[in-house]
Amino acid sequence: MSSGHGDGADRYFTASGIPLRGWYGPDQVPSGSREAASGRPGVPPYLRGAYPGMYRTKPWRVFQLSGHGNPEDERERILFLLNQGETGFIMEHDRNTADHLYNVDHPEVVARREDVGQTGAVIQSVRDYETILEGIDMGHYYAHPGGAVVQHAPFALGCYWTVAQRRGLDLSRLAGTGQSDFFLTYLGCIPKRQIPTEAGIRLNTDIIEFCGRHLPRWVPVSIAAYNAADTGLNAYQELAALFANAVVYLDEIQRRAPENLAKLAYMVGGINLRVAMDFFEDICKMRAARKMWAELLSRRYGITDERATRLRIHIVTAGSALAYQQPLNNIARGTIMAMASVLGGTQSLGVSTYDEAMSVPTEHAHQMSLRIQQIIHHETNLPAVADPLGGSHYVEALTAELETRAWEMFEEIEGRGGFAAVLDEGWLHSLAAVNQLDLAGAVNGGDRTMVGVNAFTEDVSPWEMAGFEPVEGVWEKSMERLSLVRRERDGRGAVSALRELETACRGDKNIMPAVMEAVAAQATLGEFGEVFGEVFGDWKVPISF
Amino acid sequence: MEGSDLILSVDQPGKVLFAKTALDGHWRGPAVVVHVLREAGFEVIYLGMATADEIATAAVQEDVDLVGLNVGGSLAVVMRIIDELERTAPEVGVMLGGTIQPQHRSALQARGASTFPPGSMFSDIVEEARRLVGVRRRSRKRVTSA
Repeated sequence: MSSGHGDGADRYFTASGIPLRGWYGPDQVPSGSREAASGRPGVPPYLRGAYPGMYRTKPWRVFQLSGHGNPEDERERILFLLNQGETGFIMEHDRNTADHLYNVDHPEVVARREDVGQTGAVIQSVRDYETILEGIDMGHYYAHPGGAVVQHAPFALGCYWTVAQRRGLDLSRLAGTGQSDFFLTYLGCIPKRQIPTEAGIRLNTDIIEFCGRHLPRWVPVSIAAYNAADTGLNAYQELAALFANAVVYLDEIQRRAPENLAKLAYMVGGINLRVAMDFFEDICKMRAARKMWAELLSRRYGITDERATRLRIHIVTAGSALAYQQPLNNIARGTIMAMASVLGGTQSLGVSTYDEAMSVPTEHAHQMSLRIQQIIHHETNLPAVADPLGGSHYVEALTAELETRAWEMFEEIEGRGGFAAVLDEGWLHSLAAVNQLDLAGAVNGGDRTMVGVNAFTEDVSPWEMAGFEPVEGVWEKSMERLSLVRRERDGRGAVSALRELETACRGDKNIMPAVMEAVAAQATLGEFGEVFGEVFGDWKVPISF
Repeated sequence: MEGSDLILSVDQPGKVLFAKTALDGHWRGPAVVVHVLREAGFEVIYLGMATADEIATAAVQEDVDLVGLNVGGSLAVVMRIIDELERTAPEVGVMLGGTIQPQHRSALQARGASTFPPGSMFSDIVEEARRLVGVRRRSRKRVTSA
């Protein structure tokens, strides 16, 4: 993958290696694209935007990753962001414990106890959720209460929903997503142990069905192709992998209950993409994604329902595009990526913070990510007109090219046995690794300029940037909370609920009712992990170094 | 023995143990660095996410010249690993990459661990690895001669 980006090269390419002309005219726009390009926003195939009024009627959601430390620290940061203008909230979980389903007394965690709480709050039971959510209006805000990791999602969702029920809220009122994303832990951030892909697909489909019955406003799984892209997949590979993942759920739903397919397809159509620094390529990617989704549902499943075929996008701007050196430059990068996200018609946006390369965000870095979004929203007039770049010869030609390449790769994944197979065999990992090395090599060798990193390296900034210093003693406090839960809960009730969970996992009924029971009985994160590990076993990691 | 050591130092740039300090499975950065070191001729053993004990044990068992750590968590955990290595394999050099907070770099340098945050140049990484291997080989030679 060569990426010209100018720099005196006589050939220019997009970040994904698509060759670029110096200018585009009508001849470069495929005839098939002209029809969609002259259509309106808010109608299939949604090339021009998901909603008729776009940002006039539905501003994008300001939605930032947040959380660290103890449950109280996480609550404080969420409240800070909401007070500063965030319009939904995300609960980050500690990687050490949540990714692995370990309690803090697990030997692997004890051996690194000072790491605990650095990447998110330590949340081991429904009590911790209650602490974090104190003073937050769950009926009002769209929430991502954790569960980005597939094997963690049932626990995280069960906890959040249980707190809502205890507050007397009807589940049908709740809006949010748990994510349950395969690209995170089966591709980019592989934990020491997790359930096999097949079991993960079953869990995710259970969550989708459960939401179909009880939580119509929930996005049960938000396929986060962001994680695929930030691991190395390029723009069209990201699209292909996204849809290869989506059809796994849709095929399984069709097998289980075809009558629910259109309704549940709508729920699966809330997804997450990455926007990085190739401005037009990523705008075009978002446009292509909407069109491809509508066509996929129609072609493969005969679904033409307007609601189901409307893809809703959450964008996270690329963390990997941000630099450690001269970190204030990242505010400019974040602004550029956020503008591309809005021009591409996102429904929701998180701007990676300017200190991304060095630590968990400081309050100020978080605030700047909000301000970037607010400036675009209120000062630029960008929200006034839907798909303002639609009809540009370049934009339509590049959208069509991405679509063509993405469908080709989608077919290739299907030919290789489908999404689970290309994860299990490490094929996607190899693609990502090749791109990673190309990109790192290009920056290192100077073929690709990264300002402040391999060019323009002198920095006269008067501010010395320090990364966020996490709160101390999180592990000790987490140990205390864990022993308190164990002491104060009805021990027999918890054991029996966990047995029921195990039975549900071994059977073929939906596990979510048993998950809710176990959460309510104050079963802990680590106990969920033991049940899942026992029943499903471990995924065999397909890559080694 | 001394003779074979000498041959090794001419033919082999060195043996590196590469590990991740946190229970955080991101592999993008480590994959690139491992590749760069191998391209430069180093033998690299990839241990993945490992504890201070596991890293120190492997460093001794594999008789490595150098330990490369991908940092994704607290300074305290990194310091524990450095302490453990100092105890069990004092002549083995340590290099660090990953999300290292700027304010922690001097404390790590003071312990002799050089830091390579994101965006570091490959040639700087390789040069420091070679230097540390040289330091270790010279110190071993002294021990052997004595």
